[in-house]
Amino acid sequence: MPRETNIVKIVGQESYDKLRSTKCLLVGAGGIGSELLKDLILMEFGEIHIVDLDTIDLSNLNRQFLFRQRDIKQPKSTTAVKAVQHFSNSKLVPYQGNIMDTNEFPLHWFHQFDIIFNALDNLSARRYVNKMSQFLQTPLLESGTSGFDGYIQPIIPGKTECFDCTKKETPKTFPVCTIRSTPSQPIHCIVWAKNFLFNQIFSAESTSNEEEEDGTKEWGTDDVEEIKRIKQETNELHELQKIITFGDKSRIPEIVEKLFIHDIEKLLLIENLWKTRTKPTPLTKTQLDASMNESKKDLHLNNNSVWNINEQLSMFLSITGKLMERMKKEHTIEFDKDDQDTLEFVATAANIRSHIFDIPLQSVFDIKQIAGNIIPAIATTNAIIAGLSALVSLRVLNLLKYAPVKTPLDLNMAMTAKASNLSQDRYISNPTLARPNCECAVCTKVTRGVVIVSDPTITLKEFIAELRSKYGFSEDISLLDLSEQRLLVDYDFDDMVDRSLDDVNLKNGSLLFFCDEEENDAGMCRKPLELYLELRNEISGQNIPKIILPELDITWIKPSSAEPEENEAERETSKEKVGGNDGAVIILDDDEAQPSTGTKRSISELDNGFESDNKKAKVAGQFDDNAIIELD
Amino acid sequence: MSMTQPQKATTGELNKLSEDEIALYDRQIRLWGMAAQANMRSAKVLLVNLGSLGTEITKNIVLSGIGHLTILDSHIVTEEDLGSQFFLSKDDVGKSRLDAVGSKIKDLNPKVTLEFDNGVVECKNKEYFSQFDLIIGTELNKTRSTELNKITRSLKTPLYLAASNGLFSYIFVDLIQFDAVDEKIQSMKPTTIGKVSSNREIIDVQTYKAEDDEKIVHEKITTRNYYKSFEDMLQTATLEGKLNKRQLKKVSSLLPLTFTSLVSDIPIETLSQEKLQELVIQVCEKLGLATSNISNEYVEQFQRQTNTEFAPVSAIIGGALSQDVINILGKKQAPLNNFIIFDGITLEMRIFEL
Repeated sequence: MPRETNIVKIVGQESYDKLRSTKCLLVGAGGIGSELLKDLILMEFGEIHIVDLDTIDLSNLNRQFLFRQRDIKQPKSTTAVKAVQHFSNSKLVPYQGNIMDTNEFPLHWFHQFDIIFNALDNLSARRYVNKMSQFLQTPLLESGTSGFDGYIQPIIPGKTECFDCTKKETPKTFPVCTIRSTPSQPIHCIVWAKNFLFNQIFSAESTSNEEEEDGTKEWGTDDVEEIKRIKQETNELHELQKIITFGDKSRIPEIVEKLFIHDIEKLLLIENLWKTRTKPTPLTKTQLDASMNESKKDLHLNNNSVWNINEQLSMFLSITGKLMERMKKEHTIEFDKDDQDTLEFVATAANIRSHIFDIPLQSVFDIKQIAGNIIPAIATTNAIIAGLSALVSLRVLNLLKYAPVKTPLDLNMAMTAKASNLSQDRYISNPTLARPNCECAVCTKVTRGVVIVSDPTITLKEFIAELRSKYGFSEDISLLDLSEQRLLVDYDFDDMVDRSLDDVNLKNGSLLFFCDEEENDAGMCRKPLELYLELRNEISGQNIPKIILPELDITWIKPSSAEPEENEAERETSKEKVGGNDGAVIILDDDEAQPSTGTKRSISELDNGFESDNKKAKVAGQFDDNAIIELD
Repeated sequence: MSMTQPQKATTGELNKLSEDEIALYDRQIRLWGMAAQANMRSAKVLLVNLGSLGTEITKNIVLSGIGHLTILDSHIVTEEDLGSQFFLSKDDVGKSRLDAVGSKIKDLNPKVTLEFDNGVVECKNKEYFSQFDLIIGTELNKTRSTELNKITRSLKTPLYLAASNGLFSYIFVDLIQFDAVDEKIQSMKPTTIGKVSSNREIIDVQTYKAEDDEKIVHEKITTRNYYKSFEDMLQTATLEGKLNKRQLKKVSSLLPLTFTSLVSDIPIETLSQEKLQELVIQVCEKLGLATSNISNEYVEQFQRQTNTEFAPVSAIIGGALSQDVINILGKKQAPLNNFIIFDGITLEMRIFEL
């Protein structure tokens, strides 16, 4: 009997034929992606396009079963496709690229797909694909795993809640003063060593403008003396950077003296800090001398035990020397958890600081997890989640005739309940899908459309006039570029109206936000537009209109609820920061800095699964590589 | 191996992981720790049958770094297999399954010791099975399952059984008796010793204070899990007294259907729909379920899809089963107990203590 016997038995001949002509997009070829690719192929989807930016790393091999040792450093997308070729009966198209790259993957490219599978590890790409699915009304299957925990969520644009309808758990944040003056946990010292110390002395970009002139920085303290000291300390670090770049190894002990003796002594002088806290104990010159004579044991091979303070110091000295050597050639070094030198520098610096503040020291293995934002990942959870995502796609596409989906709200989510300690009698729980959240800035508070511009030399003024005449917006409008987070035009800012789209740097894929600022007599205004700009230079010609605007239903809303730009702006800002920055840290003021003590494995045994948004958000929020981000 | 006894020393030099292993298994060691990883490496596991489900289980436990895996399978690759097994390609049709995919499994993780056995399961004696610390049987019929379980019981070896019928699938677990240790923060109501459900009993609770916060009290809870043999479960299973009325109403038709397929002496795919309905009603009565729980749609589809393997379902069941194997070998997390049913339409997956 032919290979499709089983699938035909399950879905029927008609649905099987539909599957064969279904085109799907798989975003991510990592943990969930490898598994999904296999499942989708065996389900006989006609065509699968796979996008992944990454290359293969040794630590992927415990779960990404399509990759081998010999594939390390190869692109995931193309390697995955090669690895499945022998059992594939589908057309497979791999891309090594960033899904958010609007040149390679413009909106109309997404348009070819019947369904999109997200198999991503970061919030910004998830949000981006969610938005594209909203623009095109393409069903999206969202998924994520973190250790034993995992979830899937079908998103049917306009019908069910989108990825952004629930607030995602915010990243961990720490106040500046905790990091710089009064650490009390290992992570505080790790953040200090990685985000502050390492960056200041090895990164070429971190020169003098780090500290803001004005008072905008959130210090988490009002102590003038303390703030003054923090600023001074930063300036002094530039001196250390000079030592590093100068390359004179004999001056390395000066670095240790400054960081771990003098700076601590200065801290001790600020008496207010130590009224309720245990005072730190600076290193002593004797300790430093002793460690310099410490016989060079090979500690590199022992990343899993905790070294004593002398070993820490001795390693810090030698690794600083090593990095100094590298600076001669590389000129700037970024922290990378997989770059052993940078990891050991951060680990030893953090541990020496921990020692001074009487905080327990940690092994390099453990510090790597925190500094690198490593989320544990296993084959089984990925297999389960990918399987669920693949299965639910049959119902999203309505291919199970005996279990028809009358409304998308018949579908549900699925999450690991037993493994996540949320239930004893359910391996998987199935929360129902909610309708779109009426407060959601992504799916309900804007009207979406695509604007095609064939002549980018038209001015903003002309562009706005076209929009107004088409959609009837009032005189008082504002236009924002969401991709770059900037205001283009509003009632008291018209400096740019005579410049062309080209000139103000609007590009293919720019997201524009067009909003009515004037209320009508009934106190209503038009729902804002979010427009995807598509530049089509190639089709410019005599008879082609300069702008093609989409047909949109313009609805009226109460302006009180019409302020998505702020919300959006916040999100987009953090997106930008998170995007390129695998593992920075937010530093915020004390009040906001409540560490999220969310006990992930709370033993709440819920009889009927859990439907509350809170829980969903909580579970969905923890599946990102970028668990900690920095705003400064 | 008796599952109530602690496994070999966890921190001895012999059991230490190499830096190589730590780098490879990095992302999972961060979840279950070095000791559990080392425990897994010393385990010998037998997998019976390498179908779609068997392939998934193999992938998961080989990747995770099990010490030793033996696969017993005597099947020849058919064209139909190509639709549900990712190691196979067209050229393999007609070869023995193990010959076709052995090298691919080795390639998955060269650190795992593999043995391939083309023998037939019914010809293997007790001595053969006694080599293993844990046995997984997939796609076995009722008679094979019962016989295998008799042997594993006499050897005190943990057994997992699983099979799928298209979108529907089950896992049966028999660890005989197993003590699981769990740690959690003490809630308002401290945990007390005693029965928690029909198959589980808390036998010990230790409290200790958190290292970094004196106010937080942690509990270390030992739960003893009791299991039944496959045969015993099929004969005596009931939900009466275990679920309340509302919960009973919500039990899917899949439970009585799966049971029917397991207790019926005639393969259910050969039965008329009326006869099958009749059997299902009998099973419902035995289980203490109302017959209103039966959906005709499910009866029809279950029968139509009997013994059909489907990749995503295999991935889910194979994933859940493998994780439980890893958990009990590594001594992490509470084990499954004892009958799990998956519904690929609703994505529901219930754990029944039967």
